[in-house]
Amino acid sequence: MTAAVPLRPVRRWISRTQSSHRDRGETLGSIYVGVLFVAITGAMLHNQLTALFWPARPALTGLAASASAVLILALILMALRRIGPISLSRPAAYFLLTAPVSRRRLLLPSLRLTALATAVTSSAAAFALLGHAATRDTAPVALLIVTAALSGAALVLIAAFAQSDPRRATLIDRLTAFALAAALAELVAEAAGWTPPTLPGWPPAASLVTLTGALAVIVAIASFSSVRDLAHVPNNRILESAKTAGTLFDAAFGMEPSWVTDMIERRYWSTRRLTSSRPPARLPVLIGQDYQLARRRLPHLLWLAASATLPLLLTAAPGWLLGIAVLLGAMIAAGTTTATVKTDAGNPVLLRMLGLTSRQILIQRLCLPAVLSTAWTTAALALLQVTGHLPAGPWPLLGLAVGPLAATAAVRRARVGFVRNDLLPLDTPMGTVSTGPLVNAVAGPDLLLLGLPFVIAVAGGKPLSLSGVLLQAAVTAMVVRLYVTVSTSDDRTELTRR
Amino acid sequence: MVDHPAVEVSGLHVSYGSAPVLVDVGLVVPAGAGVCVTGENGIGKSTLLRCVSSLQQADSGTIRVFGAEPGDTPDFWRAVVTTVEPPTWYPGLTAREHAELVCRAHGQDPDGAGIDEALDRFGLTAHADAIPPSLSSGQKQRLTLVLALVRPSSLLILDEPEQRLDPDGRAAVAAMLADYVSSGGSLLMASHDDKFAVASGAEITTMESLSEAHE
Repeated sequence: MTAAVPLRPVRRWISRTQSSHRDRGETLGSIYVGVLFVAITGAMLHNQLTALFWPARPALTGLAASASAVLILALILMALRRIGPISLSRPAAYFLLTAPVSRRRLLLPSLRLTALATAVTSSAAAFALLGHAATRDTAPVALLIVTAALSGAALVLIAAFAQSDPRRATLIDRLTAFALAAALAELVAEAAGWTPPTLPGWPPAASLVTLTGALAVIVAIASFSSVRDLAHVPNNRILESAKTAGTLFDAAFGMEPSWVTDMIERRYWSTRRLTSSRPPARLPVLIGQDYQLARRRLPHLLWLAASATLPLLLTAAPGWLLGIAVLLGAMIAAGTTTATVKTDAGNPVLLRMLGLTSRQILIQRLCLPAVLSTAWTTAALALLQVTGHLPAGPWPLLGLAVGPLAATAAVRRARVGFVRNDLLPLDTPMGTVSTGPLVNAVAGPDLLLLGLPFVIAVAGGKPLSLSGVLLQAAVTAMVVRLYVTVSTSDDRTELTRR
Repeated sequence: MVDHPAVEVSGLHVSYGSAPVLVDVGLVVPAGAGVCVTGENGIGKSTLLRCVSSLQQADSGTIRVFGAEPGDTPDFWRAVVTTVEPPTWYPGLTAREHAELVCRAHGQDPDGAGIDEALDRFGLTAHADAIPPSLSSGQKQRLTLVLALVRPSSLLILDEPEQRLDPDGRAAVAAMLADYVSSGGSLLMASHDDKFAVASGAEITTMESLSEAHE
């Protein structure tokens, strides 16, 4: 058996060899640019940052602040579960995971770095949350921020605990989803007009110190245990998180977000056990396929149905923001089944096998997204009206009128393909901007600009007339018809002209 | 359609940069017959198949498929099936559902299209409920051939269909291709395996002979 090789000299050699390929002072230069960027952005946006972290009139009730804290912690835990949290770079996973080096020493830096980053993020989130709490003036801010940092570190340890065992992972993921749903439900209920019970004020400082101290002890013991067990994290889990880290890096470096969404999609289906079934025979073939896909994503559909309540959270925001948020929500709802369009747009081999015209394909592929986005928008608008946040008028009809537009935007988004890096860059006073990622990012949402009658109706605060609904319906019908006619043909199979 | 050969190629020239790959290539695949093109790697078999499938533009020359120019038209793809390019599979659809989807798109009743028999002959019955990305490369190759064979077509253009198949799989594919040709279908394929080509009912021709015929 090969004796263990000390890891430190190997890492030092890798670092030295990598740095020999960099120009002298390049790292310092990067740090300088980073610090300068933060300083300039901070100076430019300090008013907005103040409003975000410490608004002039804090309005969050005690229960809403607690729900928001749970929501943020659940989101952080979900993110940690996605990235690992125990991970390696792809080269390290390839060369060092299989090398006779100490597993614990190899994996410890990633755990340490993730814990530090999560503690900082949790502290910033706690600061912002405290700033919004109505009772912030009496809050022991410093102590609560320390508690938040410790909670962040605890989340990393929980995620690491889940990483090494699929059964624990399932349980923790379900509990996280439940906590997220409960927190959102509380916030939505308050936005809908429910008056929450008043919570007693902040606990005495002594109790909080005891609580934070206890949390610190628990985190310390759990850290010790987690570091001790690092060597037992299964290889497949580490390789999976290394692939995730690599894909995230590639997507950021190549400005190609579709790599991340493709990876998530692939992983989702690879964990599902399916049984072949048949869609209703009366449905046209591709609508039937989309129907099958939607039926298999039942948990997603349930989340989608619940998310129709989320626009209620924006009722205090400017009306135009609410309008845009509803349109974006409708587009996301429509995106439930557009992965099939994405597959066809990326590689038309199966389209050639099907032998349908590109027009037939697009019309059929638009149907289910249109049903989903229309149902979502109609439900969201009906809820806003029932809770008194919209004036009188046939608002659900407006949902019917705008739904197909959002579906068209979602299908256009799915057809966009890879980022084109051959487009000319734009020289601006702020520096050079690559146009490829910009064009890619707006393809799809750009069609939502034609939902302007909808946004004006929502933002206007006036009773909705039938003519307003008809105007949006006419615009939507025109957009859908033009999009189908211009972007497809009866004598072509592929979605993109060669 | 029956008045014309299935494939008629003449004077085909294709080059990649300054490297010529196909020089004055000519080929005829009579309707209802099979032709297998053989030759070493890099000689241009796949390029020829890609040009016939309309997936690659030739520098010069004439290609006719059932008397018409090949192209991305629904009529062409209803008559022609090719496996020159590997598919990207639909998310959330099992292997069997892919086959049923293809059948339904061609107006066939999935129950009467012989999907079960095809999956059985290709050894995929146990994997009918698997999503294709989870299959091995050989199983994916077989599934692609199942999709190609269960739907109606007049011409099959296959690039090394025996690749990644075990001996039993090769025999099964060859038998199904022989059935296809004997029932009136036309077949153009590239292969490295002469025994497989003969068992498929295809006449073997070399890439060199396709160029020499025009010299």
